[in-house]
Amino acid sequence: MKLLWIFPLAGLLGGICLGTVLPVLPVGYSGYVGMGILACADSVLGGFKSALYGQFKLSIFLSGFLGNALIAVLLLFLGEQLDIPFLLAAVVVFGSRIFQNFAEIRRNLLNLGKKKDKIHTRRKMM
Amino acid sequence: MKQKIPALCAVTAVCVVLGMMIGLQYKTVKTQQAALLSSTDGQRVSELTQQLAQADAQISHLQAQIDSQQERLMEYETALGDENGEFASLVEENEALKRAAGQTSLVGRGVTVTIRDSKAAGSAAGSANPDAFLVHAEDLLSILNELNVAGAEAISINGERLVSQSAIRCSGSVVTVNDTKVAAPFVITAIGDPDLLEAALVFPGGVVDTLKPWGIEITIVKSNNLEVPAYRQMVEFTEGHEEAKG
Repeated sequence: MKLLWIFPLAGLLGGICLGTVLPVLPVGYSGYVGMGILACADSVLGGFKSALYGQFKLSIFLSGFLGNALIAVLLLFLGEQLDIPFLLAAVVVFGSRIFQNFAEIRRNLLNLGKKKDKIHTRRKMM
Repeated sequence: MKQKIPALCAVTAVCVVLGMMIGLQYKTVKTQQAALLSSTDGQRVSELTQQLAQADAQISHLQAQIDSQQERLMEYETALGDENGEFASLVEENEALKRAAGQTSLVGRGVTVTIRDSKAAGSAAGSANPDAFLVHAEDLLSILNELNVAGAEAISINGERLVSQSAIRCSGSVVTVNDTKVAAPFVITAIGDPDLLEAALVFPGGVVDTLKPWGIEITIVKSNNLEVPAYRQMVEFTEGHEEAKG
């Protein structure tokens, strides 16, 4: 079952290959793509974490992914118009969430063998 | 397990998008960096530096030509004056007119005024009015005005002689004097009575007083032996004519 996570990884690598083949973006749009990368990475890690805890819901995952990316891009756009570095807010939030999610995934995976009973009780509780 | 299938699909899809964006961004950044390096920074700068060096060499070459021609002219004039008493007065008049027009360099007593940008100019870059800490063309003009009031006979700024056709104007980060760009520190050399010239600048409410709060440094040095160079450009009259006397 763990092997199934090969698919997202393969998708990531395939996407990178595809991206390098695509035509180069015009100047000034790289900030938006950077924002999209952060939102995407955040969503992927968030989805991975919730899947590990058995809390994954497709609607929450997709709405979070699209909504976060949209808000981040809007903030960036607004910031450029008003000369306010809103970009920083998005970078800080996404960045800290990426670390947070990674920490939880790490703990979950490392404790998988040792404290199996604990996780089971947690699953029963829900 | 059933729940895992849509999760897997969704995460895989988002991963593909993520990968695409990473690849795209990587390529874009690399391309832009390469373009920046090759076109603007590298090539352009070296090209412009070369052009500047060429122009500088040309200027000094032409200047040397002007100097030698003027020397020859002077020789002719002195020869005329020596040989022929008839021309002596004409030559004398010519000398006087040239001096009045600033076409000759002058030596004599006077003051050297050095004006520097405020040391706070760099740190004040983000403040409300960073311009106030810099020396502007208007500041130079008011100093020159005071010097002229005090009877300065010849004035130059950074080696540019000021004559009646001279213009001093702001052009971005530098000041243009006689179409030559000069930058801070500005050194104004004025020939005249040193005490009078200094007094014209330093008095309560005077130019020096007005600029002091902004940290603009003005040093005035009196000297008995100063040289003000000649005006280097030609003055041509195409529009103005003398009225026919009758």
